[in-house]
Amino acid sequence: MSPPTRVSIRSSLSRKMAVPGGRTVAEALERAEKGLESHREAGLVTMGLKLAWLEAAVASRAADSTGEIYRVAADLLDMSGFFETGPFYEATFSLCDIADRMQAAGSWDWPSIEVHVRSMRLIMADGCRESEPSRTVLKGLLAVARTVG
Amino acid sequence: MATPSRSTDRVNLEHITVLLIDDNPQALDILASVVQGFGVREQMRSTSALEATHILKRKPVDLILVDCAMPEMDGYDFVKWLRREMPSPANATPVIMLMGHAASSKVCAGRDCGASFVVTKPITPTVLLQRIRWLARDEREFVTCETYVGPDRRVRNLGPPRDTAGRRASDLSAHVGEATEGNMDQSAIDDLMKPRRVAI
Repeated sequence: MSPPTRVSIRSSLSRKMAVPGGRTVAEALERAEKGLESHREAGLVTMGLKLAWLEAAVASRAADSTGEIYRVAADLLDMSGFFETGPFYEATFSLCDIADRMQAAGSWDWPSIEVHVRSMRLIMADGCRESEPSRTVLKGLLAVARTVG
Repeated sequence: MATPSRSTDRVNLEHITVLLIDDNPQALDILASVVQGFGVREQMRSTSALEATHILKRKPVDLILVDCAMPEMDGYDFVKWLRREMPSPANATPVIMLMGHAASSKVCAGRDCGASFVVTKPITPTVLLQRIRWLARDEREFVTCETYVGPDRRVRNLGPPRDTAGRRASDLSAHVGEATEGNMDQSAIDDLMKPRRVAI
């Protein structure tokens, strides 16, 4: 086995960012936030559609949909991760987590999936706000997640 | 390891070219808007990592933002390809990997692919810009060995880069010395990285 080599490289990113100019950090962030905000409405529509797909999958409980449930939940997590969706993001992360662990263990548990999907709908209906009810719902999901895998 | 910044600090991304890779076109659009807000004028987008490999063969870029989970070739395999198959210095292009949920089967892949940074979602413009600024000051050496190609992964105790606010006298030098003991057994390393459930 040949020994590892280590070299110092100054990237073109580093060189070009060192050129004076550009904009202030505050301005850059403000513009980026504005750009992000312009996608919020469409993003929330997409999240609603993916959640509806999950609800339909849970209702049908098709054995061959388990892999797709993880994939759609991960897509939903990606989208909700761009916006401030607090408890919704946490609930979706928990769904991804249990779906992944159940797939790995080969022991799929529909009721655990269903309680997550229903909770996500509840949180979304409440505007994805941090609240006492949403905290209680997340505690419940945590308890469910502990029993999985 | 965020670089503290004041709102009056300036950031110049006008001259850099960014490659954005995500199989979700909507996520790609969102990311493009954020990056444009930072001041990036030239950006390329790809909904497939495989397509991105062809783009990179034609045109060098200064920064790559890639989603970890994609069909065909995922973000981990893409970074591995970039580090091992592209010639220098293109193979050392800074890469920020964006991660939503990491499937347990991919935890080791994420550790070993050679990404400069892994940013977990939810992604805020503040965090993303901090990471880009940090990468511009990154002093880590580029390591090439049979099992790994990429920036040195041992960054924990280095503190912020030299001449940066927040760096302490006790922070270690960026130079990493020769190993004084034998390599750890691979199974012991894997065991250290194994995800475990914790009670909160």
